[in-house]
Amino acid sequence: MRNLLNFLLKYNNLIVFLLLEGIALYLLTTDNNYHNSRMVKSIQGLTRGMEERISNVRSFMSLREINSQLASENSLLRNSLELLKNREDNRFVSVTDSVLGEQYRFTSARVINNSVNNQKNFFTIDKGSRKGISVDMAVTNGRDVAGVIVGCSENFSVAISLLNLDFRLSARIKSNGYFGSLSWDGRNYRYAILSEIPQHITINEGDTIETTGFSSVFPEGIPIGTIRNLKKSGSDFYNIKVELFTDFKKIHYVHVIGNLKRSEQLKLENQFR
Amino acid sequence: MINSIIRYGVIIVILVLLQVLVLNYVQFSGFVNPYVYIMIVLLLPYTIPAWLLLIISFLAGLTIDLFSGTPGMHASATLLAGFSRPYILKIIAPRDGYESGSDLSMASYGARWFLVYTATVVLIHHTALFYLEVFRFTDFFRTLLRVILSSAFTTGFVLLIEYYRKGR
Repeated sequence: MRNLLNFLLKYNNLIVFLLLEGIALYLLTTDNNYHNSRMVKSIQGLTRGMEERISNVRSFMSLREINSQLASENSLLRNSLELLKNREDNRFVSVTDSVLGEQYRFTSARVINNSVNNQKNFFTIDKGSRKGISVDMAVTNGRDVAGVIVGCSENFSVAISLLNLDFRLSARIKSNGYFGSLSWDGRNYRYAILSEIPQHITINEGDTIETTGFSSVFPEGIPIGTIRNLKKSGSDFYNIKVELFTDFKKIHYVHVIGNLKRSEQLKLENQFR
Repeated sequence: MINSIIRYGVIIVILVLLQVLVLNYVQFSGFVNPYVYIMIVLLLPYTIPAWLLLIISFLAGLTIDLFSGTPGMHASATLLAGFSRPYILKIIAPRDGYESGSDLSMASYGARWFLVYTATVVLIHHTALFYLEVFRFTDFFRTLLRVILSSAFTTGFVLLIEYYRKGR
């Protein structure tokens, strides 16, 4: 017994160190879905209020820019509205139908916490399950891809940012329709990598990259970025560097897109797996 | 005693706030992230018991974690820095040892000593931090570059703050 006590006394610092390091590493390794880890969830309430206040100030400073962004988006929407109006006039009867045709539903939200300097970036928005947001909804900045919701509480949601090593997105080249997989390589927050595009097709710098509808998360044709640099690597595939449309350093307001028919699609697809 | 508790308490709060409110938003091209809050570990007095140092560094790291949404990452790195601090101090001890009443500051032991001290602790902290962040060994050398660049930057920052603290 005495030996044991002596041993504990002699190495008490090492024991404290190992104990605390164990706790830290446990927290870290359950981090993959960290919003689910209960302990963090309970404390997050404390920091959220503060984050919201910080982001209030920050969004006030960039009001001018957001204004012009909104104005351009408005004009774009007005244009498409005009187009739709004409189309409706041509029809014989117009039926207001909200169930049959509608597949995606949009809602806007404010980003209250964001980062670009980590290897695994997430951002937080100020709407949660109470406003109908749920996991696996798409997030866009204006019209451009920003991320995917991965966790919701009642009033907040956390989205995995495109700038995350674990983020994968099915993307295609707008001009010819070839699709590949888009991911971030952790280097520069303005660029992502498009892979799995075979070398036999011709592509050019400046081509637009957009989403495919394959994942059932993003609607088809959401713009992602433009090709900046392409290399032929040793394999059969191009190595394509894509400059992102979304500047993650200044996202403030985002749209969340829910796919109303997602569960139906997944249910059908699961029958054949 | 009470005085120094209050003094170090204020230093800790200021450094955490500086990190959370300002420096977490300083992002140079994704490669350089200064983590100046490590100064908490650097500045605590020489006579502090090792277990208390460990607990303070763990809690400081955990606080930063809460604000950056990375539970355990900063905590484990800061803890490692706190654990290695007594050994580093032993290795780089000045010729006549440490005086028990003095601070571990630039003013007491000179700029050169402080630079070596800061750089070593920061390097240990950043190495643990950045490798824990990516949690894989692919792109080993790119992470190493991030470690070195950020360490240099943090060390510079710490020296700058220390230099102005010296004046008072």
